[in-house]
This record gives sequence, C-alpha cells and structure tokens, in this order.
Amino acid sequence: MLSGLRNIIAKEVKELIRDPRILLGIVLVPLLMFPLMGFMIRTSQEAAMESMKNLSVAVIDLDNDVFAQNLTDFMEFYGNLKVETLDASSIDEVARDVQDSNVAAVIVIPEDFSENLTNGVRVELKVYGVFRGGGIAEGGAFSAVNSPLQYFEQRLVNQKLGEVWPDPDIVLNPIEISPKSIVKGEPVDVSPDTLFAVAMTQFLGFPLAIMMLIILAMQLAATSVASEKEEKTLETLLSLPISRFTLLMGKLTGSVIVAVLGAVATIVGILYYMGSFAFGASTQMMVDLSAIGLAPGLFGYAVLGLSLFVSLLSALALAVVVSVFAEDVRGAQALLSFAYLPLFIPMLVLMFTDINALPPTLRIVLLAIPFTHPMLAARAMTTGDYFTAIWGIGYVTIFTLAILYVAARIFATEKILTMQLRLRRRKIREE
Amino acid sequence: MLFRTHFEIFKSIRALLPFVLGAFSLGLVIEVNELMKVFGKVKALDGLSFHVENGEIFGLIGPNGAGKTTALRIVSTLLLPTSGSVKVFNRNVVHEASDVRKIISYLPEEAGAYKNLSGDEYLGFMAKFNTPNKDELKTVVANAAEISGLGKRLKDKVKTYSKGMKRRLLVARALMNKPKLAVLDEPTSGLDVLHAYHVRGIIKQYVREHGVTVLLSSHNMLEVEYLCDRVALINKGKIVAEGTPAELKAKYNVANLEEAFAKVVHLA
Repeated sequence: MLSGLRNIIAKEVKELIRDPRILLGIVLVPLLMFPLMGFMIRTSQEAAMESMKNLSVAVIDLDNDVFAQNLTDFMEFYGNLKVETLDASSIDEVARDVQDSNVAAVIVIPEDFSENLTNGVRVELKVYGVFRGGGIAEGGAFSAVNSPLQYFEQRLVNQKLGEVWPDPDIVLNPIEISPKSIVKGEPVDVSPDTLFAVAMTQFLGFPLAIMMLIILAMQLAATSVASEKEEKTLETLLSLPISRFTLLMGKLTGSVIVAVLGAVATIVGILYYMGSFAFGASTQMMVDLSAIGLAPGLFGYAVLGLSLFVSLLSALALAVVVSVFAEDVRGAQALLSFAYLPLFIPMLVLMFTDINALPPTLRIVLLAIPFTHPMLAARAMTTGDYFTAIWGIGYVTIFTLAILYVAARIFATEKILTMQLRLRRRKIREE
Repeated sequence: MLFRTHFEIFKSIRALLPFVLGAFSLGLVIEVNELMKVFGKVKALDGLSFHVENGEIFGLIGPNGAGKTTALRIVSTLLLPTSGSVKVFNRNVVHEASDVRKIISYLPEEAGAYKNLSGDEYLGFMAKFNTPNKDELKTVVANAAEISGLGKRLKDKVKTYSKGMKRRLLVARALMNKPKLAVLDEPTSGLDVLHAYHVRGIIKQYVREHGVTVLLSSHNMLEVEYLCDRVALINKGKIVAEGTPAELKAKYNVANLEEAFAKVVHLA
C-alpha cells in the first residue's frame, strides 16, 4: 500500500510540475510577476523622485514688495524649487506657454499682497497646478509646491503670535494627545493606529494567503483527476492492483505538495515585492509583538497549521468530487469556479469585520463554511481566542471526513466512470 | 438410508463436477453468465454468456454499441453488472475485485499515457504496481521496452509520440507483467497497417511464449481471424454465434468472418 502510494504521489508531482500550464501559472509566474511588479513600481518611484529634485515653479509677481520677495526666496531655499518669475499681468497671458513648459505650478502673487499681510487682511494666493495627464509624480510635484507655501504661512502666524506670546507653539497646540492601547487587559505603550496596521496585515494577509493556497490546491486536484479523463488514462489506472482509496490519497497528496510549492513561490514573490518599496513606513510599524503579548506562540501556529490542513483536505476532496462530473480539465475548472464562492464569502467578510459582530444567522452560515475556520484560526493567533478555532478544527474534520467518504465512494465504485457518461447522455438529450 | 446418503453425496459431487473441472481441469479463465448491464434506459448487455479457456485468444466481435466494451469493462472490474455473474480464475469480479486486478491487465480502447512522463517513466510507474521488487522491475521494464520496439524513443516524453507509438507503448504496458489474463479492447484501433501488424505480431508471439490468456474485442475481422482461437459474435448485448473462425465460416457457409457476421446479424 505504501509503495503504491509513493508511486502515485511521485507520478502526480511529476505530471503536475511538468505540465507547462501548471509550472508557468503556479510556480514561475508568481516568482517572476511579483518581483517584476515591485521592480517597476520602484523604478517609477525613483523616476518620480528624480523629477521632484528639478521641480520648477513660475511666479507672476503683481505685488513687487517685500513679502512677495520673501515668498519667492522661501520657495527657493526651503522648498528646493527652481523659481522663475514671469513677466505677465495675468495667468491668461502665460497659460499656454506654461502648459508646454516643464513648470509644475504657477503662483500668482496679487497686488497689495505685502500691504494686506501687514495690515492683517486675508489675501488670496492663486496657485495653478499644471495638469499634464495626472499620475503620482504630478500629484507629488503639486504637494511639493504646496508644502513650502503652508510652511511660509505658519511662519507668518508664529511671527504674529510671537509679538504677544513668548511661546507661540503652546498657543497653537495646547494639548498633546498621546495614544496608547490596552491589549488583553494590559495597558501598553503602543498607539492603536500602529496595532491596527499590524493587525490589518494579518487580517488581510492571512485570509488572502489561505484562500490562494486553497484555490491553488483545488485547481491542482481537479486537474489531476480531470486530466486522467481527458488523457484517457483513468480506466487503465482503475484496473491496476491498487486500492482506490490509496489512489485518491495519492492524488490529494500530490496536489498538496505542488500547491505548497506554488504557495511558497507566491510568498517569496510577494515578500520580494513588498521589499521593493522605498517606504520607510514599514520600519516604523515594527512593534515588538511578543513584548505586548500579541506574538503568536507555538500553540497558535499549531492550531493554525492543523486548521489549515483539515480545511485544505476538505477543499481537495471537494475538488475531486466536483471534477468527477467533468469530462476534461476545462470542464473541471469551470465546475470548480462554483466552489470558489464559499471561499470568497468568508474571506471578504472576515477582512472587514469580526465574526462576533455579525447577526446570528449570518454567523452560523459563515461558521458552516469550512474555509472560514483557518481564517478564524489565523485571527485567534493574535487575539488568543482559541475556543472557536479548536471547535472549528473538530467541525472541519468531520466535514472533511464526510467529503472524503463521498470521494472515496465515488472512486471505489463505477461512478467515477459512469457519472460523466450520464452527464454526457443528458446533454445529448437536451440537444 | 446409508445408500441414500451416499447417493446424495454422489449427486452433489456430480453437480459440482462441472465447476470443479471448469475451474481446474479444463482451465476456465473467464466465466460470464447471463450478464446484464443497464445504463439508465439503455440495455448495454442483455444476458451475455461465454467462457474463455486457459491459454486461448478469445475475440468478441460485433458492431458499434453491441456491448463489447461494456463487457470488457465489467471483466476488468471497472463497471458493476446489473445482474448475472462474471468470474475470472474463479474469482468474482464484484466481490473479489482487488484479487482480480492482481491477475489481469486491461488495455482500454481509447487509452492514453501520461504525456509529461517519458515512455520509460510511464512503464516504470505502471510496472511498480505489480512488481515492487527493484531488480525484477528492471527486467519487467526492459521486457516492455523490447515489446514496444520503441528503442531510444522511450527516453522521450509521451507527448512527442505518434498515435501508433503510443499504442505500442500501451500494448507493451499491458503485456509486460506477463498477466494471467490480458483484456485488450480494440488493440489495434486507429493504427496504420504497419503499426497494427507489429502489435498483432506482439500479441500472438507473447501469448504463445508466456501462456497468457487474452480476451479481446475488435472490428477488424481479418485481425480476428489471424489472432483468435475462438470468437463470439455479439449483437445488441447478446452472443449470437460462437466458435472457432473455421467453424463459423463452415456453419454459415461463407468465405470469411465478415460475411459470417453480416449473415448472423441480418438473421438476428
């Protein structure tokens, strides 16, 4: 039995990995696509940053007084911008020329700008951003123009307040808000925003990764059964002296092995993709999770692993049962797409809310779907609420055994050959 | 009283005798009795009965949809009979299916091979189920390589093979373990003259050399006359005539099996 199982697994893995469709789609594409995406994004970011360095701004100075001069100097020194003064009396005169130039924005300093500022009258400063089709670089350029302007305004405010108060900053920000969190009944010195950001990567990332792995494995299992039909190898295989259950388990194990390979490729690709970003934010978000009791322990990983394993098995058995009804690989993939629905529902719901926040009926529906449970287990790793997760493992195990039993029954009888025949005959009658 | 008991024992022995003889002395390999198979509303087999003796090549011939493939699939434990019984070496194909699978080898009509494996790998994979021993395995695969006559091409992936090469690989697979019974559904289906000639040669030679019993089905009457020791004409799920090719030709007073078949079906 064991040597037979090994034989089947070895063949399954060979067949699946050597199938160009599978090798390309499951291993090579994620391994190449994500790093390539990361590379492209990084390159364009760098290009945008490069263009930001040589940003130039045009000024129409209708004031010609001290504050106007201050403002242009400020733009040059603090904003690191190349400032070009245009000899015009209104924007209409230069708009067309500006559009064709490389100027990011035009600032129109109105008449009496300095006088009004001195007398405490609000002035309007028109800043025309030049739109050349949008894009992140253009938006960045516009904010690069805006921020020295805001800083200039703040300096003016501080100057005015400074005439009355010794420390104008206290007047502007009299209260300092210091965000902290309470985790598992303990106050911790970490802002809730940071915790939410960390949790989001788990709440969003884990369901996505789990769903991807399950879909991958289902596709593989369905392909492995349906291709036996498509390539007309099933009958020969079924006539061999090997138990049908061993055959089924061999197919399932082979699919899991290749799916794990695909998942690893995807994760490596995604990690590389994430690493490509030039954001400093990720380091700020690094929190010592174990210090605040949020790091998953060995037990948490064991629960997640077990939960993932049983639901993966149920998904595979389901895929096998579904693919028995198909005549070929394409048919199996089409039938399988219906099975994805119960995968997407828990993923989407759990991404946005906690299961306990749902109305009871919806909660029961969600809990009845086996794929909900590994996602709950992933969440339990941070919340420490393992009760639902362990209960879920029990439930999914029973569900899996039931589906496996159905799959084994189909494999053990002539149904694996005749179901498809019946389906075909029904089709002919319909025609 | 004593006499009566003895007489009863004698009677029961006499009643059992055909079965005992059938299974051992006469060497019955396949016994098909009143076999019925119904798919929904379609009666594929309608009381089919025949037997195959040890060491013979037995041919089932008949038109498309006559029930040949269904009969072979039931003998090979792939389908379950609706009623009736099939025994292979005295083992029931329903209740002792796993025992039957150990002694038979089945070649389906439209069989394929795993296209991403090489010919060698395919033979190795298939041989391992019957031959777990590594040294024996080598002999079996070498044997299969010789039967197939594919030579160096066995190193190539199956997807590069022509239809004829694939069929030769599959025939080699079916015979390599020297099965006690080989069930071959249209062994030369879709092959050109040369490939078909090669395959027929293999089957005939192999059976003679190794005492393999063969149950085959075919459309090709020439092939059947050349290969089969006995044939059964099957039509609408029933045997309509049975005998050696020579007997059938004599019985219907015709020149060849094709004519005999046409005559029988027409009469039926």
